[in-house]
Amino acid sequence: MFGFLLGEALRDLRRAGRVAVSAIMLITLSLAALGAFWLLSSNLGQAVAQFRERVKIVVYLKRESPAAEASALAERVRRMPGVASVRYVGKTEALGVLKQVLGKDAAVADSLAQNPLPASLEITPTAEGSTLEGARALVTRLATLPETDEIGGGVDWIERFAHGQRLLWVFGLGVGAVLALAAILTVTTATTLVLHARRGEMEIMRLVGAPEHIVRMPLLLQGMMQGLMGAMLAVWVLIVGYALLGPRLEPLVSEVLGVARLAFLRPLNIVTLMLAGTLLGGVGGLLARGRPEA
Amino acid sequence: MIELHRVGKVYAVGPVKVPALSDVSFRITKGEFVTLTGPSGSGKTTLLRLLYRDDVATEGEVEVLGDEVTLLSHSQVAALRRSIGIVFQDSKLLPGRTVYENVAFVLRVLGTPRREVTGRVFDALRAVGLSSRAQAYPAQLSQGEAQRAALARAIARKPLLLIADEPTGNLDEGMASEVLDIVKDIWAGGTTVLFATHQGFLAAALNRRTLTLQSGRLVKDEG
Repeated sequence: MFGFLLGEALRDLRRAGRVAVSAIMLITLSLAALGAFWLLSSNLGQAVAQFRERVKIVVYLKRESPAAEASALAERVRRMPGVASVRYVGKTEALGVLKQVLGKDAAVADSLAQNPLPASLEITPTAEGSTLEGARALVTRLATLPETDEIGGGVDWIERFAHGQRLLWVFGLGVGAVLALAAILTVTTATTLVLHARRGEMEIMRLVGAPEHIVRMPLLLQGMMQGLMGAMLAVWVLIVGYALLGPRLEPLVSEVLGVARLAFLRPLNIVTLMLAGTLLGGVGGLLARGRPEA
Repeated sequence: MIELHRVGKVYAVGPVKVPALSDVSFRITKGEFVTLTGPSGSGKTTLLRLLYRDDVATEGEVEVLGDEVTLLSHSQVAALRRSIGIVFQDSKLLPGRTVYENVAFVLRVLGTPRREVTGRVFDALRAVGLSSRAQAYPAQLSQGEAQRAALARAIARKPLLLIADEPTGNLDEGMASEVLDIVKDIWAGGTTVLFATHQGFLAAALNRRTLTLQSGRLVKDEG
């Protein structure tokens, strides 16, 4: 029976002709837009996650402590909530790092009368300590240490970045939703045309006593088929777009975001897009159903 | 099989009420062949539509195959119609499908297994003498052939009751007699038949029980 109804739906799809093609194109457009924003957003999300892993808070100390005191201080800080690890960096080590950074200009550092760099504690926060609230609480706690002169680093900029990522996702959803609405209306129009072309079949089906859901099923199925075809095309567009643009964008993405490779959508995302397309088409098919006859 | 008790049907056209049937009562038992006759506009089609619940009586009771049809839900109406074969003056064949596909279509929508469809379609086409025209499209058929195809579609499901609404209305006398002979064969196979016609010669040729409607009233029940 399902095979028969599917055959009827295919026949209907052919009848809808250009309008069905328009509907499929609109579904393709809306899902491709949604998928592209999804792809960008998930890559930004990955960058944010990497940034979070690399977060360091630096506590500059008022003076350099003897080794025993320094390790006691580091141990005290390590036991604070939100701290994953602590490393003491003495003045000499800090100067060494500066020389490495300066490279061929390292001689400049040698010309200094005395080492101006302070000793510091490099703190790697836990995942909890890397959130906006967690990092702020940790900074407050570190500021209360009598040895603390100044605190550098933090996560505010990462949060701003994450906020940008969320905005991009919401914008993508908005664009996708507007296009999806247009797609639903077009599928509805296509199905309404089919409904008119199919009224002979529907009349006969009702006269011979076919259950109403069987009478309506081909309309629903042809809407769903339009949606599925649109979704498949959208995924194809995304794959082609990714293959063409991905390698060109990767150097830029690597420079700006620190992400080595622009990742494509995961299989679950693709399945979701397919289901969304089928659902869009189904809704369009359902909206054109009209009133059952007496 | 069919029982009508004081049935009336009034159509409201804006504020104007147009009576189509008034105080119609009769009974048809299983296996009968009954002719429903009367001039055009006498209410024959309205009466038949009440039987398969394409319309609802405004007065009285309409009982078909043991069901009071005015009280049936959508799904019960569908179940009732599965036991009734219906043919119309215009054959209502689907133009984009062949004769075979037209008959097969109703079997498939009612869930007949695919392996049984072909056999049953050709049984029905043989019964109406149309098996050689199975691959023809409706536009390629004569009016008589189209009506025979419609009959094949109606009987392929082996209905208990055949309702024929002027199936010979557009046919000349020769073709009408051919169609009538087929309907008689169907009746001889055990199907109850209610055959509407405004053609007096057919009613006379049938020589069966005849219900005569005039201006929506049953004026004669004889034979």
